Order: sequence, then structure tokens, then C-alpha cells
Amino acid sequence: MALKRPILGVITNFQHGVFQRAVIQGIKQIADLHSFEVIVDSIADEDAPPRPVSLDIAHLGGLVVISNAIPDEQIRGYQAVGVPLSLISHQIPGTTIPAVVTDNGQGMARLMHHLVVECGRRRLIFIRGLSDQTDAHERETGFQREIMRYTLDLPEEFMIDGDFSPETAARSMRALIGQRRDFDAVLAADYLMGIAALDVLTEAGMDVPGAVCVAGYGDGHESAQRGLTVVAADVIEQGRRGARQLMGQMRGLTMRGVTVLSTHLIPRNTTITPQ
Amino acid sequence: MEVRKATRQDLKRHNRLSLLRAVYYGLADNRAAMAVATGLTKPTVSELAAELIAEGFLVEGGIGGSTEMGGKPPRLLDFVPDARQVIGVSVDGLEVRAVLVNLKGQAAAEHTAPLGGKTGQEVVTLLIETLNGLVAQLDAPLLAVSIGVPGVVDSEAGTVKRSPLLGWYDLALADILSAQYNCPAYVANNTELAALGQVALGSADVREDYNRVTLLINDTVEVGVTVQGAAYHRGGDIGAMRYLPRGQASAVPLVDVLGWRAVQQRASDLRRAYPDTRLPAKGLTYLHIRHAAGLNDPAAEVLLDELAAVLSIAVVWSIALLRPHTIVLAGQVADLGDLLITRLCYHAAERLSIEDIAAVHFTLASGLNLSARGAVVMAVHKELEIL
Repeated sequence: MALKRPILGVITNFQHGVFQRAVIQGIKQIADLHSFEVIVDSIADEDAPPRPVSLDIAHLGGLVVISNAIPDEQIRGYQAVGVPLSLISHQIPGTTIPAVVTDNGQGMARLMHHLVVECGRRRLIFIRGLSDQTDAHERETGFQREIMRYTLDLPEEFMIDGDFSPETAARSMRALIGQRRDFDAVLAADYLMGIAALDVLTEAGMDVPGAVCVAGYGDGHESAQRGLTVVAADVIEQGRRGARQLMGQMRGLTMRGVTVLSTHLIPRNTTITPQ
Repeated sequence: MEVRKATRQDLKRHNRLSLLRAVYYGLADNRAAMAVATGLTKPTVSELAAELIAEGFLVEGGIGGSTEMGGKPPRLLDFVPDARQVIGVSVDGLEVRAVLVNLKGQAAAEHTAPLGGKTGQEVVTLLIETLNGLVAQLDAPLLAVSIGVPGVVDSEAGTVKRSPLLGWYDLALADILSAQYNCPAYVANNTELAALGQVALGSADVREDYNRVTLLINDTVEVGVTVQGAAYHRGGDIGAMRYLPRGQASAVPLVDVLGWRAVQQRASDLRRAYPDTRLPAKGLTYLHIRHAAGLNDPAAEVLLDELAAVLSIAVVWSIALLRPHTIVLAGQVADLGDLLITRLCYHAAERLSIEDIAAVHFTLASGLNLSARGAVVMAVHKELEIL
């Protein structure tokens, strides 16, 4: 009789999203190395409403939670009963649960350096993510820090809503250019919103990147295809490192803290460096 | 200092490291060239190279060109940067920050945990739990753990002599970490390591006659000195050094003005005096001060000027005593940017000639992991005599 393999659980939203898929791939690579099975519980998908966690937590070797998929209180409860845990792209303040995040501040600093120093842009629009997500909050804070570093003017209406939804980002962008066009760059908190902004600007006859540079956070085949400049971390590596944190805990290591992965700039056609 | 006779083991270690250095620095890429570069006999080179290959430090690559005499083409050898990993750590008053790095100083991951106001033994426990977060992620065997701390450190003994911020006194930290991770461990002052890291890994000028002073300002005020490249490096906490503010009767420690907690308190006081200030009541950073001062905000200008005036005391003494080529303002204070340097020079000119000040190049280094990366440099250098 074949022995049952121990199980790593993954709780996420939108398991087929570009980011989630890559993280899960990284987790599976490490799980395979240690002969663990991975079971993914995607508790909210685009075609289905959110539902309770269905994993049998008591029988898991460990659990990875991706991007605030379930409430912090629930995760604390799992910690209290001794489940090895690792968080991807979010943290729970006041706990010792280890996490793996990308360095949103460093990423925004790199993008802003590119736009302001290398491309000479001074009037920037920022498209926000979802206000309750850690990544969105850190990217917005990072953007505002860099606005201060370069002593740029930032009118309130230059911070527009996107909610990590291309439709919302496009709507906000259209509303803005209906009122004013005195900006020379758009920076989106994720690349899909960046592509949506690029489409709106192009439809409106604005010259990208001549008049307006466009850039976004994160990378996927869509941004490569559309030539969007981005900063990105290795998301598969994020999954791998989260899984290793779990394996370490299962080996008996008591740990705390956050692993921070750096991002790198991928300059493409939507930004330009003056000759 | 006790003088000890070299043993056979010492000699072997010396020879192994000579070979490794020869390949690392590109002086040799095959066994015959290693013998020439190091002066060792060919049989010794062959034996030690085999050991280094077996341990993963060197790898055999392609075949080189024939010798001029038409001899057999040599088998090429390459250094393997990923053969081992090192964990470099810095602890300040706010957090533990650790980096996982290969033998060329390339970082695989960074790991941080807040101190949360802990001191003494609690910080030791927190430090180990934080390091465990990276130990779980090792991609290669761990060569060493190396740590920078604020305060006075006896690096040779691996002991923290006095770190009031962490509540550590005569703590044999290197022994604790070495026992925990079963590998060599090293301890030094944070600023000394920041200075060392800049020389070894950064864009710093490494001319042999080059002198550099690094002032690291976060929750502590520390100075690191690199004299003649990295030939001499020392550092220490100067936060307790007192100065007499103009018009006041009693002296004040530097850290009570320059430390981040003091800066936040002073901003809070200034907010009451200038209610319209742009300095935020919550979430203040050095960038807020810089931004507001750039827009001529009076509270921010006062704050920036006070910081520059007090910092100039350390700068003036550094210039007078060491005649450095460069002074690096490191830590989060570097976010104040060129505005800080301009005001600093203005105040320094009250005590030194313009020529003395103009002879010094001021730079800013805001990286949060400078000390942790310097700790890596120290460990790799001690273990393998490279970097």
C-alpha cells in the first residue's frame, strides 16, 4: 500500500490569477523536493462568491496563506493550535508568523527614479490598488515617499482609484483626462491597471511615451506583450521561500520575521529616456 | 599578545586560501598557473585543488589553450560563488535585519523583525528566531554568521562589551551564535561594518591612501573609520558624547538631539510652535522633514538646522583628527539629502576653515542593510580571505 504523502495547504483568492499561479508553482517545487502534496483552497474566484475555508487544517503539515485571503483573526487561531504557517505578500502585526513579501518601497523607489531622473517626468498620476491590501498600501506609501524625495507637486486628483481592477482603473483614467491633461507620467500599483491606463491614453490620442510615460508594478506576459515598463520581483521565488519557511518550522525551527525580496526594473516601450 | 607557532594545519589552511584567492581574483585559472601564482609545488596544488573541488569551492570547467611549449592544454578551474552562504546581521534599536548572501556578496534574501522594545536576553532569543527565518532558506551550507551591533564590541573575543540600547553587557555573542548554528560567528560594531561594507561592496574608492569616516545615525549615533582602504577599520558609539548647546547651562548627549526618537520629539514640540507646519503628526520620516524644508516650512527648517548644527560637531572633529577624503552620512538620516550636507558645511565652517571643509567629499548612504552587508564582508574575509 502506498504511503500517504504529508500535505501542505495553500489558502488563496483567485488561484488562477497570474500572481497566485506563480506563487503556488514555487510552493509546489519545494513541496515536491520534500515529498509533500499541495492542496490549494481558493476561497474566492471570479465566477464564485467567497466561501469558508474547506481545508482540513488539523491534518496539514503546514499552511501558506496568500495576500490577505482570510481574516487575520482566523490565521491567529491556526497559529494558536500549532499549525506551521507562512504568509505571502502580507503580514500580521504583533504576531511571530513569518512572511515573504516583495520590497514594495524599493520597487516604487526604482520606478520613480526611472520616471523622474531617467525620463525627466515631474507630474505623475498614481493609480491605487485595493485599500485593504498590504501591497496596495505599501506601494502608495512608497510613491508618496518618492514624491517627497524629488520635491514634486502632487495635486489630490492625481491619486486615482484602480482597486487592482483594470475596469476601475480605465474608468478613473477616463474621468481624469476628461478634466485635465497636465501630467506627463502614469504609475499604476499593478501592471494590469497600467495596461488599462495605456489603452485609455492611446484611445484619447495622447502620445505614449512622448507626452506621457506609463509604468506599473509587477510583471506578466500581458505587460511584456504590450511593452509596459514595470518593476517586478521573482514571484515563483516568493512561493519557494514561503514553503521553505514552513519546512523549517516542521523541522523544529522557531522563527519570526519577514523575508523581503527585491524588485528589478524592466524598461520597455512605454517609458523613454531623453537622448 | 600571545605568539603561537604555526602548526601544519595552519600552513595547510594558508596554502588552501592562497589557491582560492588566486582563482577568485583571476590570477590563475588552472593548476599550473596556481602553482606559479602561489609559489606552491605542483603536487601540493594538485592535492589542495582536489580538496577545494570536492568541497564545492572550485569547479572544473573547459580546457585552456596549449602552452607555448606545446604541452597538454590545462583543465580550467572556476570559483563557485554559491558554494557557501553567509548570514550578515545588524541589530539597532528598532529591528534585526539579516541578509543571506553568497561568497561574492550577492544577496538571495533579506529578513527583518522588529525588536518591539525588547532588551537583554529577550533580544538574544528574538535574534535567533529571526536568523532561523533565513536558516530555513539556505541554498548552500552556511559558512558563517556575522553580526553588527550598536555600542562597544571586542571583535577579537566576539564579545559585546557594552550596548546600552540592547541591554547587552559582556555578552559572548559570537560563542552563542556559533553554538547555535555550528559554524564560525563574528561580532563587530555596526558602523565599523557599514564602513567596511561600503569599501568592499559599494562604489567606494578603495585606493590604499584613502581615509573614510562613516557617521551612522538612526536610533544611535555611531562613527566608523576606514583608514588606508580597509587596512584599518574601527567603529564605536559616540551618542553618549556630550556637548554644550548655545545659551544652555548643562551639556546634552549627542543622541538626545540626533537619535530618531529625539528628532520625533523635537518635531512634535515644533508642531506646537508652528501649527501650520507640513510636518505630519503621525508617520513622520526624514523625507517629510526634507520635503517640508525644501518648501521653506519654518518648523522643518529649524529642525534641519538644529540637526546639522549638532552633527557638525562630530564632522569637525573627524576632519580635524583624521583628514578624511570622504565623510559618509549613513542611515535613515541620509534621506535628508543635499539639504543636510549644505547646512552641515555651513555650521562646520564656524569651526574650521573653508579650505579644510572643501577638501572633504560628503556622500549619503541610506541603505538599511549597510551594516549587515559589512558583516558579511567581515565573515567572508576572516574565513576565506576574499571579498
